[in-house]
Amino acid sequence: MKDSMIYENLKFRLPDHYDQQQMITNLDEQFPIKPEPPQAVRLAFYDTFDWRLYNNALVLYHSEHGLFLRPLSDVTVLQQARITTPPVFVRDLPDGAMKDKLSAIIEMRALLKLAHVYCYTTTYRVLNQDEKTVVRLACEEYRPSDEQSAPVLAVYLVLKPVRGYDKNAHQIADHLKELELAITSEDPMQAILKNSGKTPGDYSGKLNIALSPDMRADEATKKILCFLLDIMKRNEPFIKGDVDTEFLHDFRVAVRRTRTALSQIKGVFPAEISTHFKEAFRTLGKLSNDLRDLDVYLLNEESYKALLPADMRDTIDPLFEYLQEKRDAALQHVINSLESRDYTRLIRDWTAFLQAPAGDSPAASGARRPIINVAQRRIDRVYRRIVTAGYRILENSDDELLHALRIECKKLRYLLEFFTSLFPEKKINALIKQLKQLQDNLGDFNDFDVQIEYLRKIAEELPLTGPRSRKTLLAIGRVIEKFENEKQAVKVAFVDVFTGFAAPANQAAFKQLFKPKKKEGAR
Amino acid sequence: MTTLALYSIKGGVGKTAAAVNLAYLTAQAGAKTLICDLDPQSSATYYFRVKPKLKAKARGLIKPGQAIDRSIKGTDYENLDLLPAEFNHRNLAAIFDRLKRSKQRLQKILKPLQAEYDVIILDCPPNINLLAENVFNVADHILVPLIPTTLSVRTHRQLLNFFKKQNYDTRKIYAFFSMVDRRKKLHVELSSLVTQEFKRVLQSPIPYLSQIEQMGLHREPVPAFSPNSAASKSYQALWAEIQACVLSA
Repeated sequence: MKDSMIYENLKFRLPDHYDQQQMITNLDEQFPIKPEPPQAVRLAFYDTFDWRLYNNALVLYHSEHGLFLRPLSDVTVLQQARITTPPVFVRDLPDGAMKDKLSAIIEMRALLKLAHVYCYTTTYRVLNQDEKTVVRLACEEYRPSDEQSAPVLAVYLVLKPVRGYDKNAHQIADHLKELELAITSEDPMQAILKNSGKTPGDYSGKLNIALSPDMRADEATKKILCFLLDIMKRNEPFIKGDVDTEFLHDFRVAVRRTRTALSQIKGVFPAEISTHFKEAFRTLGKLSNDLRDLDVYLLNEESYKALLPADMRDTIDPLFEYLQEKRDAALQHVINSLESRDYTRLIRDWTAFLQAPAGDSPAASGARRPIINVAQRRIDRVYRRIVTAGYRILENSDDELLHALRIECKKLRYLLEFFTSLFPEKKINALIKQLKQLQDNLGDFNDFDVQIEYLRKIAEELPLTGPRSRKTLLAIGRVIEKFENEKQAVKVAFVDVFTGFAAPANQAAFKQLFKPKKKEGAR
Repeated sequence: MTTLALYSIKGGVGKTAAAVNLAYLTAQAGAKTLICDLDPQSSATYYFRVKPKLKAKARGLIKPGQAIDRSIKGTDYENLDLLPAEFNHRNLAAIFDRLKRSKQRLQKILKPLQAEYDVIILDCPPNINLLAENVFNVADHILVPLIPTTLSVRTHRQLLNFFKKQNYDTRKIYAFFSMVDRRKKLHVELSSLVTQEFKRVLQSPIPYLSQIEQMGLHREPVPAFSPNSAASKSYQALWAEIQACVLSA
């Protein structure tokens, strides 16, 4: 329905030291031009630590006029909210389209300020015989500060067509092209971030480790472990600042993956070293178990309430007030342990170990083997163990067996993610996807089980008095009942999910990628 | 999304001036705004320096769909677009009459635009005919400029009676005083009588001021060429009251 260009802005990159004043004067000889008073505005850009907006090709910025959301490389504002203080969480936004859009992307993450910039804009209106504006030309200049001496980070001339005057827009666009100005789709945010030393997309909770098949196993393992250590180090300061819950989550996952790497990639380090660090990271992980549990309960407050009839929802508030109090204490405990000497020593020793050049130790027989062999053998073994354990559960669906299987699956998942770069991308991703379905089922089962257990325990320690307390306990009981039902439903679903996972085609796919090939002539 | 109509049975009561200035203030406040010039006299179109369509072939308002999208013009102001008057809008009532559901034609035509704009302001011709009834159906609120004279008050009574008779919602109607001359004793007296007699009378009057007449010379909304003038302030006060009492009601 819309013509090719009517609503689209065209952005031209002005070369350094370009004389835009002269260009406008020349243009004025052909098309009458009226400049508007220059405007200066300070813009501050925001994103989550893991670049969720950038990854969705969105730019969020705040100025004295409010908060604006626009696509990357486009000046057209998608949504705006008139708020004077920039938001930290989605819940700080006023209800409306922007909140709806952002909540699905940002979820529970905090918005951090990336950088700010001063944008100086002069708009030139191109007029027709009636002195009616038919095209706007905006000259935008970006500087890191409002001082005269501040360097110019980028200058653009943006042609903004006025609706219903396409011919004029084409005319001016042609004129600018004749001046050999280049149309660009670059986003000024890129230059601004570069100037403040930030690289968009430089953090992700996902693993991205490039290994080559014939790398020494100990070197490859160290590379994986270095990657995980980096994640811990980068998240740690934000945990102490209690910025949002996901810093701790990513930190804990990195710790857990470190333990899995140490225990599952066997024989690459001397046993006493592996054992020592495995134990140390196990202790480190345990320190924040309480805090993470409490975070999850508090994040899910709304979904808990949604399980209750409308008139019962408020009665469960004392539970969340109590959990919040407990969380304050748990957070302090975690901060103390991250500031402890034990932690500093662990990180120092671990860094030293990972940075030391690979030596030949008789205690680590597998250190020199090519990583591909180690990876294949281990993945193959864990996979077969899961299939066997799963079939046993089909006969006897004991809760404990399901828990054990969940943990095995997690190990396999981590192994597949450590070694993704060694295998054909499509094939390994398909297997990860298959595994994820099984993990989701087992994860749901575990979540319900753990929550039921926890709620029972917490109901006993809740400091309740008076008639309100009866209602609170009643509400908790109601939630437990719902979870019991859900738990059974998930258990029933396990049969289908596992049968899919263990299907012959999937088994064959695993075998093809990971089954160690028998050496020729080695019978 | 809100559709506001500036409407009066009488002509020359400051309707177009109000439509243009209110549309400008709405757009300045950040709302994506469309002003529709339904009056074949095309004064609103003139104020925005857009040429009215004089060609005999009707497009926009008669056939819904693409045509209306192509008729819309951007104004000199950000966020503010105009649907220009077309000369044959003078026949709109007659044309609607020949079509099915003749009182809902405008609703159907404006529907796609209601998704695109936050506020649509209709500048209506002074008439009480089929086009006016289309306006009564499509508008969320109808703003009626009222000069505090005996005849204007009588006309307002007629409008309310028409609404009751035809089963339109009288709660849509808000009156505001227009072209008020504080020096005239009658204006002052009638203003207070009107407030007593009718419900939903806004209390921010638009005085009779030469700056408003100068809009025709400047071809700009008052707050654009004289932002600190008394006229500009009176429209701002009216806009604030509309936001507080009409739009949030």
